[in-house]
Amino acid sequence: MFEDHEIISTIEMVKNEHLDVRAVTLGVNLFDCISHDLGTFRHNIRNKILTHAASLKSVCDEVGDKYGIQVVNKRISISPIALVGAAFSPDQMVEIAHELNDIAKTVDIDFIGGFSALVEKGMATGDLALIAALPRALAQTERVCGSVNVATTKAGINMDAVLQMSRAIKQAAALTSDADGLACAKLCVFANIPEDMPFMAGAYLGVGVADAVINVGVSGPGVVKRAIERHLENGPMTLGNIAEVIKRTACKVTRVGELIGREVAKNLDVRFGVVDLSLAPTPTVGDSIGEIFQALGLSHIGVPGPTAALAMLNDAVKKGGAFASSHVGGLSGAFIPVSEDLNIAHAAHQGYLSLEKLEALTSVCSVGLDMVPVPGDITEETLAGIIADEMAIGMINAKTTACRIIPVPGKKAGESVYFGGLLGEAKIMAVPHMMETNAFMRYGGRIPAPIHSLKN
Amino acid sequence: MNKLIITVLAKDRPGIIAHVTQVLFGLECNLENVNQMILQDQFAGFFLVESPPSLDRDNLQTNLDNQTKDTGLVIHVNDLDENNGSAMDNKGDIFLITTIGPDQKGLVARFSAIIARHHGNIINLKAVFKGGPDPRNNVMSYQVWVTPELDSAAMFADLRTKAAELGLDIRIQHKNIFDAINKI
Repeated sequence: MFEDHEIISTIEMVKNEHLDVRAVTLGVNLFDCISHDLGTFRHNIRNKILTHAASLKSVCDEVGDKYGIQVVNKRISISPIALVGAAFSPDQMVEIAHELNDIAKTVDIDFIGGFSALVEKGMATGDLALIAALPRALAQTERVCGSVNVATTKAGINMDAVLQMSRAIKQAAALTSDADGLACAKLCVFANIPEDMPFMAGAYLGVGVADAVINVGVSGPGVVKRAIERHLENGPMTLGNIAEVIKRTACKVTRVGELIGREVAKNLDVRFGVVDLSLAPTPTVGDSIGEIFQALGLSHIGVPGPTAALAMLNDAVKKGGAFASSHVGGLSGAFIPVSEDLNIAHAAHQGYLSLEKLEALTSVCSVGLDMVPVPGDITEETLAGIIADEMAIGMINAKTTACRIIPVPGKKAGESVYFGGLLGEAKIMAVPHMMETNAFMRYGGRIPAPIHSLKN
Repeated sequence: MNKLIITVLAKDRPGIIAHVTQVLFGLECNLENVNQMILQDQFAGFFLVESPPSLDRDNLQTNLDNQTKDTGLVIHVNDLDENNGSAMDNKGDIFLITTIGPDQKGLVARFSAIIARHHGNIINLKAVFKGGPDPRNNVMSYQVWVTPELDSAAMFADLRTKAAELGLDIRIQHKNIFDAINKI
């Protein structure tokens, strides 16, 4: 038996506040597909993925229909190709990317993630081949996503890999110059990458995970924003009360994600993994992290105060989600992707949000510099410096940080870029001092792990 | 011992439940389950009781009528057939079918006819039509027991078609989503 207000509020969350399940991601372990022969390897990974994923889309749609909650994106994450395809050359790695792209089309999913390498402590043969292949692999395919973990709190920062990734990003942008460097939107550089994340572009299946697993990413910026607004309409509140509202709302949203994820996993006969609590925005009015800041009384995300607000938001989301589900994982916080969030993109365009402020925000958000378009003529060293700074925030704070930066070929700060769909659009952000020489980035080697990594 | 179901209707006021239960207590009836609701200003109560062997349905009806005379209570006593069981004893799921939109004559009749035609069992219905912009004032919500034998896809399609014809927003959702969000 439900009360009227319970029925109406649930419907409102779905209908007007953009509550949906942002991603159901099927993780597939490919270690039993390994072969030294490329043809055999391609055959094996196709068979393995299709065995588990053939009905992924239809099952997600059926479960979504049953509960009246849309599963927006159906995706696949796989074991890191740099590990399972370590025997192959860069050219062969590109062929593997084409195979993965074709598999994604066959099962009608939008992205497949795991064209990835874990190189925080050094790069092996497979890692080097994958990084060399990344620009072509991402430029020549539509649905393959890549990620490279270059730092952890336990290992420090691999500065050789940082510079190589800067170069790879520039090359990927150049190869897709006719599309504003779109290939870079499918490439993330990480510190402390989670192995069970459902969100792209960084999703991959960790080596300590089951053979096949369903991970779920919920949405909910619109629901959180409206919850805050509704309570404030009833009179003044303290920040402690507002945090409580966010926590309770996150709890509800998480329970929806877990309900859907568990049923999809059951119907696919695979293990349920985690719910990722991240508040993931879209370029739609009412589905924005930036609008939450405005609901909290900040005129724009870049004015003084949003780092504190984001810290409160992130913490409240984690507390609510952790109460709702015993299996929370992935990134689990708030995303602040510039081009994917209409409100944040506007704040950047109007000059409220600078790259420096964005970096400060990433010390408390769940990801990092995400979907940030920068001038195409940024130097390798400057780009590597931005990446290294972001990795340092993750390493020292024992949290995940990432860079998904797009150097837009032929365009300057203030010019427009349009990536389309959920990737959105934005003005190119200025990068101060980007043409300065930067010898620091050429030293190479590894920045040692911080003292607090010594926990044993 | 007899199992009996007692229905009590009246204009709502303080003391109805106290009065009825005191009479039942005096007649040595054991109260097993009670449910009540208020619809606008009208009280409706359901009392499931176990009566002593000497007190059958007709005796209880007579006693209740005599002891509530001039109170305005309309009381009806029925035997409870426990052997037939509930329609929900069989395998099935509960779906909430909610329409939001302005009142029109015959809305409940039209939607319940579709549900009945497909053999869906309405186990709870709330309908409020007060007008104005607030969706809470213009809502019908049916909780329907859907068995595997029932062609739920066809029933839901017919309901959606009817809602579209009438210009109503319709949502059809499994009960568990409401549990997930509201029953923490």
